[in-house]
Amino acid sequence: MFGFTIKYFGFLKFVPGAAHFFDTWLKLYTFATKPILLDWMDSIRADVLRWDGIKITSHKYGGMQFNYSKKEIGHIHGNGLLDMLLNRKIKEQLLQDGRIQDHHSFKNTGWISFWIRTEDDKDYAVELLRLGYQLVLSKSST
Amino acid sequence: MKKFLLSAKTQGYIIPNISVVLIALLTKYSGWQDSGALVFSEFVILPILMGIFSAWFWRKEPYSSKQSMGRTCILSVIAIALSYLFLGEGSICLVIVSPLLFVFIAVGVSTGRGMFSYNNDTFNVSIVSLLLLVFFADTRAHHHYENMVADKMVINAPVSKIWPYVVAYKRIEAPDKYWLFKIGMPSPVQSTATGNYVGAGRKCIFSNGYVFDEKIVEYNVNNKLTFAITNQPRDPEIMGHIDILKGQFILQDNGDGTTTLTGNSWYALHVFPVWYYDLWAQSVTRNVHLRVMDHIKELSEAK
Repeated sequence: MFGFTIKYFGFLKFVPGAAHFFDTWLKLYTFATKPILLDWMDSIRADVLRWDGIKITSHKYGGMQFNYSKKEIGHIHGNGLLDMLLNRKIKEQLLQDGRIQDHHSFKNTGWISFWIRTEDDKDYAVELLRLGYQLVLSKSST
Repeated sequence: MKKFLLSAKTQGYIIPNISVVLIALLTKYSGWQDSGALVFSEFVILPILMGIFSAWFWRKEPYSSKQSMGRTCILSVIAIALSYLFLGEGSICLVIVSPLLFVFIAVGVSTGRGMFSYNNDTFNVSIVSLLLLVFFADTRAHHHYENMVADKMVINAPVSKIWPYVVAYKRIEAPDKYWLFKIGMPSPVQSTATGNYVGAGRKCIFSNGYVFDEKIVEYNVNNKLTFAITNQPRDPEIMGHIDILKGQFILQDNGDGTTTLTGNSWYALHVFPVWYYDLWAQSVTRNVHLRVMDHIKELSEAK
């Protein structure tokens, strides 16, 4: 359902409020099916906000986007899907661990997707975001 | 009890809900809306404003995303109950409207939660003013929407055998298949006609006893029957929401002993946004068609 909406209704991101509406719908669905996931997402948000220079904005398709110096580190949709940009080398290594997936839309890029389904996944999501943060930091300093 | 009622949390549930009901009543009885329609703003902008208003009451205490969604659900249930009590809406209508209310109240609560965490009064006032502007502009705008739904079915019988059942048919005994009919929405059960000519009266009787009065306006034997709806029941489920304008059956001989039966219905919708309500209107109309057409097929194919 999420993939279908992004694929066929993605153009609605240009309608003001549509992305926020979509993400709220996802959060309501999460609240009905797995409410603890919302607590985990709050916890990730609180952890990441402790890092220097992190700002949170709304993602263009809805969700909470983590930025450092106006560069996106990653974003989490209301259904617990973390999308973030690493690089192909790190992505290959992580794919071998079997926890992350190719990005749901951008295949064959440095983008990855990771579903947060357990409390362990919540911690792993923070690790991934930390990795992305360090990558952005290193790019910013060069 | 007094402490409970005066708490910001309780006020955040009660005051926005009462405010919205008062605005809805004012809109309904003030004549602001020239066509009497229930407009987009009443189902989208008002719930968002209600959520923002509630978030304003809750701005001083932290609450999690899970609590935010939980509070949204409580707000929505109260809004639905008040709509039933004060706006006279039917229970099936409330089932249909509830997804819109849940989502847009949630949008309002999460928007308000974000707005009041930054505490930028200029920005907050701008957002609320913009929403109010859209609400008043939409309420004052003229709204009109008509649509037609068509369904086809192949029946293993010649047109001459099917035609009498198209004009009138005995009571449908088959159990309802459509989920809205199963939970209480009236379904068609019988049709009667006072004669076989243009101008004859026809009645479509529903499971709860409600009757749609119709008048035959086109009567081409074995080919086409068109009827205008002259009076529809004053049921809160449909009154002010939808007007069925006319219906039509067309029979087409397929040349192999079978017939294609087409059922058409025209309606005017008085609830907006149409991108949401017309999905429901089409679904209900389609299932009314199919229930009648399945019955006609069964009667026609009987030995």
